[in-house]
Amino acid sequence: MSSALVRRAARSVGAPVLALAELLVKRDGPYARAFENLILALIALSVVSVVVEATSSLPGWAKQALRIEEIVVVAVFSFEYLLRVVAAENKLAFIFSFYGLVDLISVAPFYVARLDVRYLRVLRLLRLLRVLKLQRRILEATVADRTRELADRHALLQQAQAQLNAELEVARALQIALLPSAFPAKPGCDGAARMIPATTMGGDFYDFIELPDGRMGLVMADVSGKGVPAAFFMAVSRTNLRELAAHHADPGACLARTNDVLCEQNPMDLFVTVFYCIFDAATGVLRYANGGHNPPYLRRAGGSVEALSGAGGLVLGAMPGIEYPNHTVQLQRGDRLVLYTDGVTEAFNPADEAYGVERLIAEVQEHGDGAAAALVERICTSVTAFSGTAPQSDDITLTVLAWHAPQAPAAGR
Amino acid sequence: MKVRLETFGPTTLVLPQGRLDFASADRFQMQLEQALAGAGTAPAALIIDCVDLDYVSSAGLRVFLRAARAAERVGVSFAVCTLKPAVRDVFDLSGFSRIIAVHASRAMALQTAAGPA
Repeated sequence: MSSALVRRAARSVGAPVLALAELLVKRDGPYARAFENLILALIALSVVSVVVEATSSLPGWAKQALRIEEIVVVAVFSFEYLLRVVAAENKLAFIFSFYGLVDLISVAPFYVARLDVRYLRVLRLLRLLRVLKLQRRILEATVADRTRELADRHALLQQAQAQLNAELEVARALQIALLPSAFPAKPGCDGAARMIPATTMGGDFYDFIELPDGRMGLVMADVSGKGVPAAFFMAVSRTNLRELAAHHADPGACLARTNDVLCEQNPMDLFVTVFYCIFDAATGVLRYANGGHNPPYLRRAGGSVEALSGAGGLVLGAMPGIEYPNHTVQLQRGDRLVLYTDGVTEAFNPADEAYGVERLIAEVQEHGDGAAAALVERICTSVTAFSGTAPQSDDITLTVLAWHAPQAPAAGR
Repeated sequence: MKVRLETFGPTTLVLPQGRLDFASADRFQMQLEQALAGAGTAPAALIIDCVDLDYVSSAGLRVFLRAARAAERVGVSFAVCTLKPAVRDVFDLSGFSRIIAVHASRAMALQTAAGPA
C-alpha cells in the first residue's frame, strides 16, 4: 500500500469521514468515549467467541451466531482502522506502527480466510491478537490521566510561585525602604551610601542616625544567611539599634544593649555583624565599636589608607552579656571613612576570583578625593564591572563619610 | 562540600572539605546534628577538624554556632581545630574564636577533649 494510494483513498471517502474520524478517534469527547467503549466490548466478545468456537460439537444456531458476531466485529474494527488511517497525520507511519499493524492483523485474517482456505485455524487464532488493541486503550487512558494531572499541578504550582514571588518582591521593597535615602544635612560633613541588593533576599543594612546631642551615628551591618529569615532579622536589628542609639552616648554600650535585646528575639540562631560609629562633625572625633564586622577603611587626606583597629568583637545575637570596647580615632579635614559589607570584597567574577580588599583599597586610595557620593559610585562601578556576568549572590553595601573642616565648602553630594 | 566522620573512642571528629557557604550550610547542619546524635549514644565530644575547609561564609558560621549550642544543650563538649588562615580570619573577625574553643592541631583538640571536662 503506497501513501499516494492511501491519500487518494482518504480523499475519496471525503469530508464526512474525516469529520467522523475527528469526532470518534482523534479528539476526546463523549462520542469518542462511547466509540472506545464499543471497541472494548467487541474485543472482549471476540476473545470469548474464539474460546467458545474451540469447543467441539456446537449446535448449528450457535455456529450461525458466531459467524454473525464475527462479521459485526470485523466490520466495526475495519471501520475503526479506516478512521485511524484517515485521522493520522502521517498515514504511512501509522500503518506501519505497532498499533497500526495490530489493528490490521486483527481484521486481515477474516478477509484472507474468505478468499483463501476458509477454515484455516491458525489465521482464526490470530483474532486473539485483538487483545493487543487493549494495550493502546490502557496506555492512552493512563497517559491522558497523567498529563491532565500534571497540567493541573503545574498550573497550581505556577500560581503559588507567582504569588510567592510577588510577596517576596513586596518584602524586598519594604526592606529597602527601611534604609535611609539620603544623608542628613550636616555642616562640615558629607555622606553617601548605596546598596545593590542580591538576587536572593539578603540582610545587609546601613543607617544614619541623628543623635540628640547633635552627633551623627553611622551603622554598617550584615545579617548571616539569606532569604526571609535574614530580612526579618535585619528589620529587627535595624529597629532596635536605631531605638537604642538615641539612649546611648557611646557606641560600645549601644552594641552591648542591642546584642542583649537581639539574643532574646532570636529563635533561628541568626546573627548580625555590626560596625557602629558616632561622628562629631564639630571636632572630627570618631568613636566606634565593632561587633564582628569587616573593619572600615580610613583614607587620610594625603591618600594613605588604613583599616580601623579594634575588629574581632563578637557578632550580635550569638550570646548575651558581651561587652564591646569603644575605640576613638581623630579625623583630619579631607579624610574619608569607607564602610562596607563583605558583598563588596566577596563579589566574584566569572573566573571565580573575589574582588578582594586590595582592589577596594586601590579604588579608595585613587579616587577618594572628591565627594562621598562620587567615591561610592566609583567603587560600585568597579565592583560590578569586575563581576561582569557572574550572578550576584550577596548584597553589596557601601557608605562613605567625608569630613570637611567647617570653613571649607561642603562638596556637592 | 564533602564531609567525613572519624571516631576516636568517645570523640567524634567531623572533617568538612571545601567551601561552607549558604548553599552547603543546611546539609552540613544536618550532618552535624546526626554526628551529635551518634549511633544510639551521643559522643562525649564533637570536634570539627577544618584542615580541609577552604572557606566559611557568614551562613557557614551560623552552622558552627548552632552546633555549639546544640552540643551544649546535650552536654557534649565542642571544639574546632586546624583552621586554615582564611577560616581563622573569619573566626577571629566575627569574634567566634572567643566563644568557640579553637585548637591549633587535631592532637591538641583530642587531648583537651579526653582530659577532665
